[in-house]
Amino acid sequence: MSDKELEKLKSLPVPEPSAKAKAAALAAAMTAFDAASENTFETIAETRAEKNPDAPQESADVIRLTHASQTKRRLPMRVRHGIYATAASIAVVALGLGTGMYYTGTLRMEESAAPEPVAGKLSQSPEPVTSEAKPALSQPAPAPSAPAGRASANSGKGKANKFGASRKFEESEADGVADMSPAAQPPAPMGGVVGLKQKAESKRAYRRDNIVAVPDLNGLLAGREAEQSRNDIGIADGSTVERKRIVDDTVTQPPRENRDQFETVKINPVKQVSAEPVSTFSIDVDTASYAFVRRALNAGRMPQKNAVRVEEMINYFPYDYPAPETAKTPFKANVTVTPAPWNPANKLLHIGIKGYEIQSKERPHANLVFLIDVSGSMQGADRLELVKNAFRMLVNELKPDDTVGIVVYAGSSGVALEPTKVAKKSKIIAAIDKLGAGGSTAGAEGINDAYRLAEANFDKEGVNRVILATDGDFNVGITNREELKGFIEHKRKTGIFLSILGVGQGNYNDALMQKLAQNGNGTAAYVDTLNEARKVLVDEASSTLFPIAKDVKIQVEFNPVMVSEYRLIGYETRALKREDFNNDKVDAGDIGSGHTVTAIYEFTPKGAPKLIDDLRYGGRVAAQGEDKSGEGGAAAKPDNGKTAYEYAFLKLRYKLPNEDKSTLVTTPVTKAMERAKISDAPEDVRFSVAVAAFGQLLRGAPYLKDYSYDDVITLAKSARGDDPFGYRAEFLNLVRLAKSARP
Amino acid sequence: MSDGDKELALKAAGGCRVSFAALVERYYDRIYRLAWRFSGAQDLAEDIAQDVCVKLATAIRSFRGEAAFSTWIWRITYTTATDKLRAGQRMHAVEPSKIVELADASPDAGQPSPEDAAMGADLWAAVRGLAPQQRDAVLLVYGEDMSHAEAAAVMGCQEKTVSWHLHEAKKRLRITLQAAG
Repeated sequence: MSDKELEKLKSLPVPEPSAKAKAAALAAAMTAFDAASENTFETIAETRAEKNPDAPQESADVIRLTHASQTKRRLPMRVRHGIYATAASIAVVALGLGTGMYYTGTLRMEESAAPEPVAGKLSQSPEPVTSEAKPALSQPAPAPSAPAGRASANSGKGKANKFGASRKFEESEADGVADMSPAAQPPAPMGGVVGLKQKAESKRAYRRDNIVAVPDLNGLLAGREAEQSRNDIGIADGSTVERKRIVDDTVTQPPRENRDQFETVKINPVKQVSAEPVSTFSIDVDTASYAFVRRALNAGRMPQKNAVRVEEMINYFPYDYPAPETAKTPFKANVTVTPAPWNPANKLLHIGIKGYEIQSKERPHANLVFLIDVSGSMQGADRLELVKNAFRMLVNELKPDDTVGIVVYAGSSGVALEPTKVAKKSKIIAAIDKLGAGGSTAGAEGINDAYRLAEANFDKEGVNRVILATDGDFNVGITNREELKGFIEHKRKTGIFLSILGVGQGNYNDALMQKLAQNGNGTAAYVDTLNEARKVLVDEASSTLFPIAKDVKIQVEFNPVMVSEYRLIGYETRALKREDFNNDKVDAGDIGSGHTVTAIYEFTPKGAPKLIDDLRYGGRVAAQGEDKSGEGGAAAKPDNGKTAYEYAFLKLRYKLPNEDKSTLVTTPVTKAMERAKISDAPEDVRFSVAVAAFGQLLRGAPYLKDYSYDDVITLAKSARGDDPFGYRAEFLNLVRLAKSARP
Repeated sequence: MSDGDKELALKAAGGCRVSFAALVERYYDRIYRLAWRFSGAQDLAEDIAQDVCVKLATAIRSFRGEAAFSTWIWRITYTTATDKLRAGQRMHAVEPSKIVELADASPDAGQPSPEDAAMGADLWAAVRGLAPQQRDAVLLVYGEDMSHAEAAAVMGCQEKTVSWHLHEAKKRLRITLQAAG
C-alpha cells in the first residue's frame, strides 16, 4: 500500500449532510450553549471544577500537559464533577453512620491537593486553603499519621472528626458565598452555593438517597449532613444537555454497550449420593457478580445469566456468624440445616464460615502496589475517577509504615509513584490526583512493573499485594492469557498476591479478571459506585488485604443413609476434584481477616421424592444399604452407629498465610443442627438463603419450582437485621427491580 | 486555520452567543465530514456531528487558545466518533435473545446506505476494517491531511506511535486489498 493510493482517501467524496440534520445540530448546540450561559452556577462550577483542587479530576497541571488531552478530559468534567459531588455526599453520609474516617478522606484530599502547583491564577494563593484545611483536619484527628480508619472503632474519635468536618463545611460554604472569585476557591462540596434542582431523579441518586435514610447513629449531626448530601446530589442533577446525554449513554442505555465478557458456566447439577457422595470445592470470597447484577438491574435490565454467580452474590453481604477467638484457629464453621423454602421436602445445608478478625495492632505491614489502567476508555466518573477516589480512601486506611507504589498502564506503562511510606500520605495522594486517562491498554507490561515494585519492597512478614484497577481487557501487549496467568501464578508463589478492582461496564472482561485474581490468590471485586468502592477497599480493607488463611477448601461427604441427592448452590467455577482436597499443591481461595464465606447445599433426605431414578442394575450395594436404613433417615436405628444420625461430614482444609502444609478441620453435620422451620434459622442464614434463591432465579432456576421474586422479598424482609450500611435494603430493592426488568 | 477561528472561539469561551453560533456554523460541515470518514454512514455521521456540537457548547468555555482551535475541535470530534463507533460495535455483539431490546432501541448505529457504499467503498471498507488506532491514524493523516504530529495530538498519543500505526496499517491494507483482488 503506497502513500499515493492512501492519499486518494482525501479526495474521495463524502456525501453531503442533510440540511435538516445540520439545522438540528446547530439548534441543539445553541440550546446547550444557552443552558450553560444562563446558569451562573454552571459557570462557577466549571471554573471550580478546573481550579478546584478538591475535585477529584486530574489536577490542573496534568490537564495542561498537552492541549489535545486537555479537551478530552475536559469534556466530561461536568459529569464527573456532578458525580463526584454525589460521591462527596456518600462520604458525608458514611460519616453519619459513625465511621469517622471517610470524611477525613475528603479532607485529606483537600489538604494534599491544594498546595499543588496548579497552573495559572490558582497558584497565586494555595496557602490560605491549606492553612484553612489544616486546622480542621488536625484539630479533631490526632495527626495525619494516625490512620483515621482505626478511629472508626472508637466512636468518640469519630465524632470529633465529624465536628471538624462539619465546621469545615460551614467555613467553606461561607467562603463560597462571599467570595465568588474563581481563584483559590476553597475546595468545598459547595453545599451552600448550589440549590439548583435538589431533586434526586436518577436511580443512582435515588439509591444514595436511600442510604441517607438509613437509621442515623448520630442524630446530632445527621440532619445537617443529610441536608448537605442532598445539596450535593442537587449538584449532580443540575445537569446540562451534555451531561444528560453522557449519563444516558453510560448509565441508562447499556444494552448497546454490552460487550462484557463472562465465562459460560453450567449450573451445578443434582447428584446422587450413592454415585457421588463427596463434593469438593474451593471457597470464594469474590463479590464482583453482585455489583454487576445490581448495575444491570438498576438500569432496568436483567443481568446476563453468566454474570450471575450465586456464591458471589451470597458472599457480598456481611454476616454476623460466630467468630473464632484466636488467630490460631483462623475461622469457624457454623452449620445449620433447614427446610428448603422452595421445596419443603428438601433441606438446605448451610455452612457459614467466619474468619478471625485481625485487630489493627496485629495487622501486618502492607506493601501495596496500585496498578491502574489509564487507557482512554477509563475516562469517566464511573471509571478512573472512581478508582482514584477509592484508592484515596484506601490510603487513608493504611498505617504510616505501610507502603504504596503506583504503576499506570495504557499505551505504555510507567511508574507513577515509587513505593512510598504512607507517612508521606500527601505525596501519595498527589500522585493519585495526577492520574489521567489516555491511550490504549497494555496490561501485561504494567503488571510486570507492578510486580517489580512489589518485589523491590518485599516484606516477608507483611502483606505484599498488587491491586489492579481496570475497566477491561488487556488490549495490547501480551495477549496470551495463559502466559499472563502463568506469570501471576508464579508471582503468587513468591508471596505477592493480586487483587482486582473492576470498574465500568461495556468492556469489562469478567472471565479474565476472575481467572487472574484466582491465580494470584486475590479477590476480584466489581465496583460501580464510590459506596461500593468504600465497601470493598475500606470496610473490607483488612479482609481484602490481610489473608488469615489461604487455599481454603471444603469437602462435604453426604451420608447415603440419610441423604439421597444433593446439589451445591453456586461455586460452579470453584469445583475441585475429590483428590484435590488433600493435595496441598492445588490452589484454592483465601479467607481474609473477618471475612465471611457461605456455602449452601440443597439435599433430598432419604424417602423424599427424588429427581434421579434409582438404577435398575448395578445399584445393588447401595440398595442394600437403603434397605437396612429403612424409610427415611429419621427411621434409622441407633444400632447403625452414631454416624447414622449424621447428614454429612464437613471437612475444611486451610493453610496459614505463611505455611505450605494444610490443616484439617472436621465437623459432622448432625440432626442437632437442624431447624424444623426456615423461620427458626438465624437471621443471617435466612437472608443468605434469600440471596441464594434470588441468584438462582436470575440464572433461570431449574430447581426452584414456583418460588418467585415475591417469595424472595418476603424471606429477605424477615431477615434484614441491623443492616447498618443499607446493603440488605438495597438487595430488597433489586429484587423488586428484577420483577420488572427487561429480559 | 485562520486566526478568525481562534478569536471567535475565545469570544465564545467568554460567553458570546453570536461568536459561538458562527463558529459551529463554520465548522459543522468539516465535523460532519470527519465523522463520516470514521463511520462510513451518513446518519451515524450526523449523529456524531450533533453530539460534537452539543459538547462544544460547554467545552468551549474552557477553551483558552493554547492550542490551535482546529486541533482542539478535531480532538473532540475524534473522541466522540470513536466512542460512538465503539458503542455501535457493541450493538452487533448482542446475543439473539437481546434482539427485542434492539428492536425497541432507536435505530442509530446504522449500516452504510447504498449511497454511502458507492463512494469509494473498497478502500474505505478496508480502512475501517483496520484495528481502531490504525484506522484512526490513516483517517487523520491521509483523510484529513494532518501531519503525524497533529494526528498524534488528536489521538492523544506520541507522534512515533502514529507513524508506527500508519506503517502497520499500510502493511495490513496491502494484504486485505490484495486478497480482495
